[in-house]
Amino acid sequence: MTMIEAKGVCLRFPNGTKALKDIDLFVKPGDMVYVTGPSGSGKTSLLKLFMGIEYPTSGSLKVLGQTMIQGQTAGIRRLRTIIGPVFQEFKLIDGRTVTENVMLGMRFLNLTQDQLMENAHHALQKVGLEHKAHSLVENLSWGESQRVAIARAVARKPVLILADEPTGNLDKANALNILELLTSFINDQTAVIITTHATHLIDAEKPCKVIRMDQGSLTWERLG
Amino acid sequence: MKTVFFKAGNAGYFLNEVKTMIRLNVFSTTLTILSTGLIFYILAMILSGWWVSSYVIKVVQGEAEINVYLNEGIVNSTPEVQLMMERINGIEGVRAVRLVNQEEAYQRMAEVLGKEAKVLEKFEENPFSAFVELKINLEAIDSVLDQLNQLVGVEHIRDNRDVLDRLRHIAGVLRLIGILVVVAVGISTLVIISHIIRLGIANNKEQINTLRLLGAPERFIALPFLLEGLVLTLGGGILAVALAAFSLNYLYAQLAGPLPFIPLPPREGLVAGMGIVVLSLSAVLGIVGSLLGLPSVKND
Ligand SMILES: Nc1ncnc2c1ncn2[C@@H]1O[C@H](COP(=O)(O)OP(=O)(O)O)[C@@H](O)[C@H]1O
Ligand SMILES: [Mg+2]
Repeated sequence: MTMIEAKGVCLRFPNGTKALKDIDLFVKPGDMVYVTGPSGSGKTSLLKLFMGIEYPTSGSLKVLGQTMIQGQTAGIRRLRTIIGPVFQEFKLIDGRTVTENVMLGMRFLNLTQDQLMENAHHALQKVGLEHKAHSLVENLSWGESQRVAIARAVARKPVLILADEPTGNLDKANALNILELLTSFINDQTAVIITTHATHLIDAEKPCKVIRMDQGSLTWERLG
Repeated sequence: MKTVFFKAGNAGYFLNEVKTMIRLNVFSTTLTILSTGLIFYILAMILSGWWVSSYVIKVVQGEAEINVYLNEGIVNSTPEVQLMMERINGIEGVRAVRLVNQEEAYQRMAEVLGKEAKVLEKFEENPFSAFVELKINLEAIDSVLDQLNQLVGVEHIRDNRDVLDRLRHIAGVLRLIGILVVVAVGISTLVIISHIIRLGIANNKEQINTLRLLGAPERFIALPFLLEGLVLTLGGGILAVALAAFSLNYLYAQLAGPLPFIPLPPREGLVAGMGIVVLSLSAVLGIVGSLLGLPSVKND
């Protein structure tokens, strides 16, 4: 199944800002896509379209077969359950532990309690946060919160991971760790899309696609 | 594929959500439980009052009896009394006729007065007169009374229609107040609970939004709020039932001494019935109140 199929997509906010202009994009399973570009260039807006937080004001967009138009509430809700979102501001739930946050993304999926705990445990292991499993999320450092957000996104075994600036505010070593971690979730049935303004972190050796956003327009920098 | 989230593992999660919501708003939670408790208490007492009066009416009605006092001249003549009793027995609607002699009338009053029966000793001779006691079919009471009035030799008829009428009036008033109170309790509880739920939703906007972005179904998001409403009203209901049970115990103890002849319904049954009604009503109001508050989840 095609991951993302965008044709001539534009996004214009009610205040008149044209955040995305005539975007054509095709993402297939196995793809690792970096979305680069300066702040305000439309990276987050692009991911918002993929999650159905915003809708194209013109053009057509399909995500995992789901047409992204207003009114498709049930379909888009289902789509969101197979996406692993890592939000720029994390969106963790305060007052809950790390484990509770990671499990929250799975509670309404068709999983048994055992699978739920196993998935959460496994994801926390993968991001190296087992020792913080019972800490409250508000007591974590920035980098730790980042990793909890990633654990929550991947624990549910999504088909498409959308990570918004997962390296922001991290030092180079930690940033590289995170990118490597996200890359490790790629297989022939999944795709990962990462936005970042730190192009120097992208490993030239590893196969990936790189697109560049500039004032809402998309250009390809590397095709794989 | 339908998403299942009513599974055992999630029960803990939902309860935890409710606990967290309550913990973050201890003050308003306590106030809500206290105020709904007070409202439900008033309801419980009115319901009990209505219940008791209805019960008394039923008992008094079942014992519908008429006492016929005969003229002085007849009372002292056994054959004439006999004749009168036969005539009375012939009236349609009369089931049984019995003569209560002076001695028995005295004993009955002594029994009713209990400890106070000493006052009777002040009389030099028995102040009570004999009378004919009849059991009747309740439906026929009016025609029986009519015909009794036409009998020669009847001095005075005493029936409990007055008492019954007064009791019915009281029960009617209590029922009216009861209905008004139920409506008032319903409306105020719904207003309070839906408001609390709306506040809770406003306080949890970010969390709700995150759950939506993760693809959580609306029912999954709404359930903790529904539970919260239920906990609040059930808390109030339990408080009210406990208070009302305590009050009823006290009232029964107060009434049992001086007024032993009032046929009160069994206390345990009354308390249990009142408890069931108040608790179910509080549960229903809690759920409906939450449902009324829930739509505010939708407009974010
Ligand atoms: N909700 C919004 N309403 C109006 N303008 C917005 C909104 N969100 C983003 N924008 C604008 O759209 C442009 C792209 O923003 P964004 O996608 O967040 O950029 P990036 O993630 O690349 O920094 C910016 O000019 C931003 O100010
Ligand atoms: Mg951004």
